[in-house]
Amino acid sequence: MTSYLIRRLGIAVVTLVLITFLVYGLIRAMPGTPATNQMAVMDPSKQLTPEAIARINRLYGLDKPWYTAYFVWMTNVVQADLGVSFTRNMRPVADLIVERAPATLMLSATSLVLAYVLSIPIGLWATAKANTLPERTVSTALYMLYSLPAFVAALYLQLLFYVKLDWLPLYGMRSDNYPSLSAAARALDLLKHAAMPVACFTYVNLAYYSRFIRANMQEVVRQDYIRTARAKGVGPRAIIYKHAFRNTLIPLVTLMGLSLPGLFSGAVILEQIFQWPGMGRLYFEAIGQRDYNVIMGLTLMFSVLTLAGQLLADMLYAVVDPRVTYS
Amino acid sequence: MAAGDVPLGDSPGFWRQAWRRFRQRKLAMIALAFVAALTLVAICAPLIAGTRPIVCQYKGRIYFPALYYYNRNWENPIFAKDRFRSRYAENLKKDPQSWAAWPLVYQDPYRRVRAEEWPGQPGNPYGAEGKPSRHNWLGTNQQGFDVFASMVHGAQTAVSVGFVSMGIAATIGITLGALAGYYGRWVDVLLSRIIEVVMCVPSLVLILALVALLDRVTNFHLMAIVGLTHWTGIARLTRAEFMKLKQMEFVAAAKAMGARPGRIMFTHVLRNALAPVLVPITFGIADAILIESGLSYLGFGASPPNPSWGTLLAAGRRNIEDMWWLIVFPGAAIFLTVLAYNLIGEGLQEATDPRLRQDAH
Repeated sequence: MTSYLIRRLGIAVVTLVLITFLVYGLIRAMPGTPATNQMAVMDPSKQLTPEAIARINRLYGLDKPWYTAYFVWMTNVVQADLGVSFTRNMRPVADLIVERAPATLMLSATSLVLAYVLSIPIGLWATAKANTLPERTVSTALYMLYSLPAFVAALYLQLLFYVKLDWLPLYGMRSDNYPSLSAAARALDLLKHAAMPVACFTYVNLAYYSRFIRANMQEVVRQDYIRTARAKGVGPRAIIYKHAFRNTLIPLVTLMGLSLPGLFSGAVILEQIFQWPGMGRLYFEAIGQRDYNVIMGLTLMFSVLTLAGQLLADMLYAVVDPRVTYS
Repeated sequence: MAAGDVPLGDSPGFWRQAWRRFRQRKLAMIALAFVAALTLVAICAPLIAGTRPIVCQYKGRIYFPALYYYNRNWENPIFAKDRFRSRYAENLKKDPQSWAAWPLVYQDPYRRVRAEEWPGQPGNPYGAEGKPSRHNWLGTNQQGFDVFASMVHGAQTAVSVGFVSMGIAATIGITLGALAGYYGRWVDVLLSRIIEVVMCVPSLVLILALVALLDRVTNFHLMAIVGLTHWTGIARLTRAEFMKLKQMEFVAAAKAMGARPGRIMFTHVLRNALAPVLVPITFGIADAILIESGLSYLGFGASPPNPSWGTLLAAGRRNIEDMWWLIVFPGAAIFLTVLAYNLIGEGLQEATDPRLRQDAH
């Protein structure tokens, strides 16, 4: 197990280096630099002095070719320094990420929990009532939801709840008068703003997970031990909960591990649509402003999470299923 | 013939059996019909909606001005010389002998139809006035371009993006997956690492960076970008199939007969691996359409003028307060197309997967 873990970690490090190298090369090849971005052109007060630009260029290796600059960046990262944001008053990238993380987590954690809490009963119900009319209807509806693009759903929801019913705000995270509100009103305000993004984020996962659970359950209920349990007179409820569902937990746990990076990166497009001030929005803004260090810091974080999620899924697999061993 | 004899004659081949099973799935067949109809609409778009005659006679010769919608250079210079300026209906009268066959709907995806241009048809309204009406079935956009015409011509984008980008992705994925699966050892290790890296690179960064590198983005650029980033699933599946199939007797037989590795891989093994590989390709087409319309929606799509469903949605988002028709119709088109490809992919999966065969009912 230990040697397997060490080998996997070694591979993960090599993969990380390759990914960051590739992305660094790509973003440096994009026309424009953070010092010449449009924000600085439009607002002279945000423009850096030539000396400051030269100093930053020297400090972060931007005056060198990109492959050399990449090693400057990586050396800094190894020393736990993600660099500073060029377009946000030289604030450290790590601070920016920490500042934006709660907004993203508020969306993604809520919707992931909601998706799991709802999809497990739906998946089990669909197995128990397989091939009845209500089950076919629900399953077809979920399948259609699965094919509904999130940005289309977002627009439809906005049309319904903002334009037609005027119940929810169009986008943003807080109203303009947020600071003057009482605590309860603040919570309500946040809730109203979060409702549509959370709904959009949830339905995609919900449709996927419940189909996943149902497919796995259908495979399990055909196994011999289910037939044995049925022959011994176990009730249908106990068969589904105790005998079948427990055995679908293994793929479900794997799925949970793989959904870990989605906690941070899943909402990039949705945050952009709903102008939600989270990390996905930061990513988009940083790409537009050619803010290399921010892009690299976020890319590094997303990649580490993706690889960690895969590793975690494989580890959990061995924990929940004693037949699986790694050597 | 004694009872119990096996009836002689052609035994159905793998594809015929698969087609038979596919046909039993009603939803998958509806989806297939939808995609076929959409492809037909895309190919015939200038015959359905346009302001140029499909075929006309002018000064004694036959012309096909509607070809302009396929390629701008295919407009005959005579119409530029005679100063038609895209107004065929009025200008053809310069030659009293002329005649023309017109598209079904006199509307243009690239410009606003003005009053007096077509007998009995008023000029297109624009802005919030452009509600769906008798003349503009799905309304008009901010500038007064007809939404129906834009959507019909936008189907070309959707259909071609799906097919071309997945063609590129399938070529890369099948080649790399075949090499990795067939040769194994260090080739496999190397290619598997490459696949893993490409899978982990955030595709949004890749796409946005590549789009930023280009001065003028066309749909072909988008197709190439999507194709170059979405081949990993196909490669992994092909690799797994090849690893399984290379152990089979027919491969050993081909080897014994002196077939070269290239021939074994791409004629013998691939033929047997194709069915499972078609499934991720079909899902990939749905994905590609989603990405193209999503990029156009976010403003990173092909440069204008480009009739794309995503571009219409973006216009709808800017005018969400009063122009609902710019959101409802293109959104439904994207949804239905993605749904259709997903249904076909699922039907294909169940029709070709031997493990699911017994369960088919």
